[in-house]
Amino acid sequence: MIREKLSYRIISRLLPAILLLGAAIVTAYYLFARSSIAEHTAANAQMTAKNSVHSIEKIVKQAELIPANLAWMMESGSLERDSLYHFLKKLVENNPLIYASAIAFKPDKNRRLFSPYAYRNDSIVESINLGSETYNYLIMDWYQIPAMLKKPYWTEPYYDEGGANALLSTYSHPFYLIKNGNREFAGIITIDISLEWLTQTVSSVKILESGYALLISGNGVYVTHPDRNNIMNHTIFTRAKEMEIPKLREIGRSMIRGESGFDTIELPQIGKALLYYEPITSTGWSLGVIYPYKEMYASLQKLNLVIVILSAIALALLIIFISTIVGRMLRPLTKFAKSARVVAEGNFSAELPQITSKDEMRELRDSFEFMQRELTVYISNLRETTTAKEKIESELRIAKEIQMGMIPHIFPPFPQIKQIDLYAMLESAKEVGGDLYDFFLLDERNLCFAIGDVSGKGIPASLFMAVTRTLLRSLADRDKTTATILSEINSTLCLNNDSNMFVTFFIGILDTTTGDLRYCNAGHNPPVLIKSGAKAEYFEITKGIPLGLFDDFTFNEQFTKLNGGDQIFLYTDGLTEAENSSNELFSENRLIDSINISESRLPESLVKDVLRSVKLHVADNEQSDDLTMLSILYKRSDEDNSKGKEAEKSITVQSDIAQLQRINNWTEERLSRLGLPEELGNTVNLVIEEAFSNIVFYAYEPGDSEKIDLSLDCEGNMLVIELRDRGRAFDPTAKKDPDTTIPAEEREIGGLGIFLIKKLTDSVEYARIDGVNVLTIRKVVK
Amino acid sequence: MNITSQVTPERIIISIEGRIDTTNYGEFENDINKILDTKTPEVVLDCNSLNYISSSGLRVFLSLHKKMMASGGRLLLKSLQPSIKEIFDISGFSSIFNIG
Repeated sequence: MIREKLSYRIISRLLPAILLLGAAIVTAYYLFARSSIAEHTAANAQMTAKNSVHSIEKIVKQAELIPANLAWMMESGSLERDSLYHFLKKLVENNPLIYASAIAFKPDKNRRLFSPYAYRNDSIVESINLGSETYNYLIMDWYQIPAMLKKPYWTEPYYDEGGANALLSTYSHPFYLIKNGNREFAGIITIDISLEWLTQTVSSVKILESGYALLISGNGVYVTHPDRNNIMNHTIFTRAKEMEIPKLREIGRSMIRGESGFDTIELPQIGKALLYYEPITSTGWSLGVIYPYKEMYASLQKLNLVIVILSAIALALLIIFISTIVGRMLRPLTKFAKSARVVAEGNFSAELPQITSKDEMRELRDSFEFMQRELTVYISNLRETTTAKEKIESELRIAKEIQMGMIPHIFPPFPQIKQIDLYAMLESAKEVGGDLYDFFLLDERNLCFAIGDVSGKGIPASLFMAVTRTLLRSLADRDKTTATILSEINSTLCLNNDSNMFVTFFIGILDTTTGDLRYCNAGHNPPVLIKSGAKAEYFEITKGIPLGLFDDFTFNEQFTKLNGGDQIFLYTDGLTEAENSSNELFSENRLIDSINISESRLPESLVKDVLRSVKLHVADNEQSDDLTMLSILYKRSDEDNSKGKEAEKSITVQSDIAQLQRINNWTEERLSRLGLPEELGNTVNLVIEEAFSNIVFYAYEPGDSEKIDLSLDCEGNMLVIELRDRGRAFDPTAKKDPDTTIPAEEREIGGLGIFLIKKLTDSVEYARIDGVNVLTIRKVVK
Repeated sequence: MNITSQVTPERIIISIEGRIDTTNYGEFENDINKILDTKTPEVVLDCNSLNYISSSGLRVFLSLHKKMMASGGRLLLKSLQPSIKEIFDISGFSSIFNIG
């Protein structure tokens, strides 16, 4: 298909050029030939005319000689008057050209007319005296005009009807006689010449198919003409008027003026024609030859037709030739196309067409061959690289598993330590990352935890992270300060740290029994502290510098105390610097906000809530850095309470109204553990708050920090709330209920708490047992 | 607990958000008193976002009510949540306060 199209395109481009060129050549040739024919024809016309004129003139001159000789003979007196009849008779007999001859004498004194006249009558020649009473020749043109002009004269041709019955013209020649020594005009000698020969001569002039010659007299009368009707009946001027050809009249005028020349004329039947005219000087006539253009150029037109036919054949042959050659030349392309498809399917050893020529096709074949070789090499290289890459990727996956295995990820990690709820997560941006967190127990009560971020990412960072984590595990000790641990890790990391890597690090050791927290920071982001019942805020910590930079840097340990319900949230900058598509960072502010709006205070939900906020912020943007979070909730700072299940049922709090938050948290958790509805929370909270604040305010002195036990349990469909304290005996039920009906201004402020308890629950009992106040409140629940 | 106020010569609208309990009623009372320094004829407490109140809180409400009455003003409670309304009913405060 492509081959056909290409040859078609070549032909379609070439064809107009060839046609144009051909047309130009043919046109040039045609114009040249035409002008050449025109020239040739003109020359030919001129020659034909001149020849005819010449042969006419010859005869005419010959004829003219006869009267001239006669005149001389008369003048010299060699002819007797009496012998004239006989002489003329002989003359006519001997000259077939002469139809008749006369010698018309000038009348004598007696005015007698004498004119011997010999003429042909059929085959014999007779003679008479022309002059008679009926024929006064003195008034005839043939006599009068030469007599007056004293010059020979050819009359207008005329048809001699009744006599010769032929077209005649009379040549008149004056003669003189010597009288008394004077040469006097004596008469006119005439010969009548039949013009049949003239007609024959002119008619014999054959011009092409329909061309012809014509002769007109000095008056323009047609003497010869192919159309006999015209002869003597018409003049060139009458015909010009009849045919409405004014140009013919012009030509006629030129002709009778004795001029010669060419002209082009449009004639009926013949069409456009070339006309040449030449005068017959002696008679004053004029000869014209007519060449019809149509016939002049007929041969040329025939030739043109032949040329056109030959050109068409040549063109057809050319097209066939071109398409065959182009097709043959492009045949290898089809094979190349096939080979290219085979190559595309993956077979690089596809057979190529053999090219013996050294043209572009050969170049294409060489390029093709080169491509095949290169592809083979490239694919084999690619295969090797891919295998190597797959190997690396699989190793990276294993490395990731190892790295993830290094950090603790079983939650809850220490079920035996009830004071601690802990959750952490690490999400690497790449297969392996440079973030780390860790937590482990130094003994049965001290929890060591840490978070760090190695500079850079990928394998180098992950190796550095592994080293750091290993050092932390081996160097952490409850008897060391956190600053010492960091200093030791720092010096070790600084040794042989040719790659100048470093790690920001935060370490903390929490005494789970007291809530005492020792910590030290090495250039890490400040952790978030969420105080029980308060909003989250950043730790105020010494910034320090990252580990691995300067081995003699002195780190400082800091202290704080966590209270029950306090939570510490640690993270790496991958969190605060998580970018969305508008390059906005998640930022410290958003982090605090997302922690504050998180409804849960349990580490796992908090971490997951924050992660959700980050993902929402980042949206479709690619995670650019590792995300690491570690959150530790310190549940109680009291003495070690390891009563197992009992610990869940009850809580011991100090007689401080600030413990209410902790009580509330515990109550909520407890209620949910008992499977009671959330709506009950507010009521139970209110009941406990009122009872607890009564004890704080009335059983103890303000400022006392004694212990109050609170327990919450279900007995069938009865919720039992029990509060125990060792304060002074105080029976809240003994207090009189306030009168709720009296107006506000009369109502006493206070006494409302216990009243609310009674109203909201089903029974309230007080007992004093072994110096302990026991308040038992029961409420029916569904 | 968080309060916001809108003060005009005729009216003070105080919106209360969160909890009022024994730990923070004092703070609440202080905040209210700061706003109530002027002699405004009407005070509206918008309790739409108040989701917990204990007797300590009720006491502040009562003392506020008394203070308003003493100065010839009016205290109006608005948009109480059902659980809070129940406490008001039980304590008999519903009959004392103008609840709208």
